[in-house]
Amino acid sequence: MEKLSRIILVLVAILVLAMTLPMLYWMAFEQPVSKPFVLYSCLDDDFFIMRQGKPNTFEDTRGNKYTREKYEQKLPMMNFQQLMISGLMPDTIRGKAMDMHEIGLNRSFARFKPEDMNGPKPALFPLFESQSGRANIGMPDDFFRITWRVEFLDAATNKIREEKSQLFSAALYHNGFAFPATRIEGLPTTRKSCDEGYLIVDSSNQLFHLKMVKDKPYVRKISLPEGLRFKHIQCVDFKDKKYYAYLFSEKNEIFILTQDEYELVKLPITAFNAESCDLKIYGDLFNYNVTIDHEDHTDVVILDKDYKRVKSYQEGWPLISEHTEGKIFGYIFPAQLSLEDPNSKYINFYWKGSGGIGWVLLNLILVGVHLVILRRRNASLQGHAVDLAFVAVTGIYGFIAINLFQNKFFD
Amino acid sequence: MWKSIIYKEWLKIRFFLIGFTILGMMGIAYLFLKVQHEFTFSGGGNFWYNILFMGMQFFGYFKFIPLSGGLLIAVVQYFPETIDQRIKLTFHLPLKENNVLLMMHSFGAGCLLLSYLLLMVVFISLSAIYFPSEMVYDSIVSVIPWFMAGFVAYFFVALIVMEPSWLYRIMYSLVGGFFVTIYVKSPVIAAYGPAIPGLSLLTILMSVALLFSAYRFRKGEM
Repeated sequence: MEKLSRIILVLVAILVLAMTLPMLYWMAFEQPVSKPFVLYSCLDDDFFIMRQGKPNTFEDTRGNKYTREKYEQKLPMMNFQQLMISGLMPDTIRGKAMDMHEIGLNRSFARFKPEDMNGPKPALFPLFESQSGRANIGMPDDFFRITWRVEFLDAATNKIREEKSQLFSAALYHNGFAFPATRIEGLPTTRKSCDEGYLIVDSSNQLFHLKMVKDKPYVRKISLPEGLRFKHIQCVDFKDKKYYAYLFSEKNEIFILTQDEYELVKLPITAFNAESCDLKIYGDLFNYNVTIDHEDHTDVVILDKDYKRVKSYQEGWPLISEHTEGKIFGYIFPAQLSLEDPNSKYINFYWKGSGGIGWVLLNLILVGVHLVILRRRNASLQGHAVDLAFVAVTGIYGFIAINLFQNKFFD
Repeated sequence: MWKSIIYKEWLKIRFFLIGFTILGMMGIAYLFLKVQHEFTFSGGGNFWYNILFMGMQFFGYFKFIPLSGGLLIAVVQYFPETIDQRIKLTFHLPLKENNVLLMMHSFGAGCLLLSYLLLMVVFISLSAIYFPSEMVYDSIVSVIPWFMAGFVAYFFVALIVMEPSWLYRIMYSLVGGFFVTIYVKSPVIAAYGPAIPGLSLLTILMSVALLFSAYRFRKGEM
């Protein structure tokens, strides 16, 4: 039993060391990765790149350098407020007179991170009144869930509001909803221009739009192509009211759902992976600037207002494992363990290899060192085979752990 | 003889265990007094909304209470055994040394488990008055690792107290201190869900850790 208890302690120590030593190493030596900020100029039909540094630099794809002021002038849709103040805003662009109201109406920004998808989701939602006739949206005092039916729970009493629940359950049922819901997505906040309710996926992977209009349910079943399944839906509230949401399919296709017509439009984006990529979509009067950040490169795709591909740009940067500090890390540590992952809100045991096999050398050296220690203590190799296996596999973590919880009593 | 050993353990921990349980109850009562106050002044809808969408964890104050219970029970149960090496008297009984230790340890952990279960039952019962089952479930997923942290603290403190060498006590404290932190991260509500099976396994495995330092203690390692 003592042997077993010691092995457990060694394992625990390895876990602790695999979390803390890499963390301390990166805190001491990690250098920031400078990612380019790429935007498309509607004046030059080319990309302009801001690189963070001391100072920031601005350039185009041909390597021409610009001052900050010149850079801002090349991107009038992004910097129109500054250009207005400076008196440098062009009167017309592409033959179109520049109207501030129209520019503002067409501006939009959406951002998605994998952790938006990978994390605990609430199971209860407030259903706002979509046509209250009031200037501001009011927070309801009940929340709904969709299990074997729709249930509205009064937050003050924690009791089901039966009449309202039956009304909304019947509305969904008569529209062919297959209970329960597997996904409910919306904008559960009063800080939005208007309420458009929720997009709901049922247990048969059908998509529905549900909102409350003058205390009555509004339900619309949305036709989907055969076999299309969504892994994430991100609702938006843009001033131009062109679409309700971005929808990511299980094949990592990006769709938009047009407002009122309920048409699914597939964006011509192929380089996206919702599990690991950050996505930013800037909309303006002429284009959509779609930026997809991967671990080691960025893809920028420009779409016109009909969602057709206009131009694209790609730029890479070295992975952290290719930096000097990353290479040294790879020689010391076989892997690192963390309870947190930048692509998830869940706590879990996340193992990540250090890249390369440089650590094998150190593992072998440490096995040799431990053999020397054992020889000096005249210890039998047989009694220490498990310890040597720990060192061979886990390297520096195992070496420290077995010397912290020493095996010498079992000689 | 087993009964006598259990009675001896009970004598050591009884006041502290009961005191901790009462304090834990008072902590939970405070939590729900605050919930009731917020319901009265801000409304239940706002309170639910803050939990569901704004990341509020109404039970956050409770985070270190189970941990402190584990620390307390381990100290009061094992520290007296190290004064004048009293544990050696127990080892002279006509019983297997490891069995005696495991009995002591099981009794301490069992008492702690009872206390925690009582606290959990009160917490869940009061939660169910104010919140629907989904929110109660998310709260349970969030607080379970804190209770596991209490057990881990109990097992580690027992290991450290029984360890004869001060150098190793310090090193075990470092490992134990870092290890406990994996149970008390501050993520969003219910984020510990996928990690609970792994953390439970580690907690159960840690229950026999004491035998290692007790072995070193018996053999006179300094």
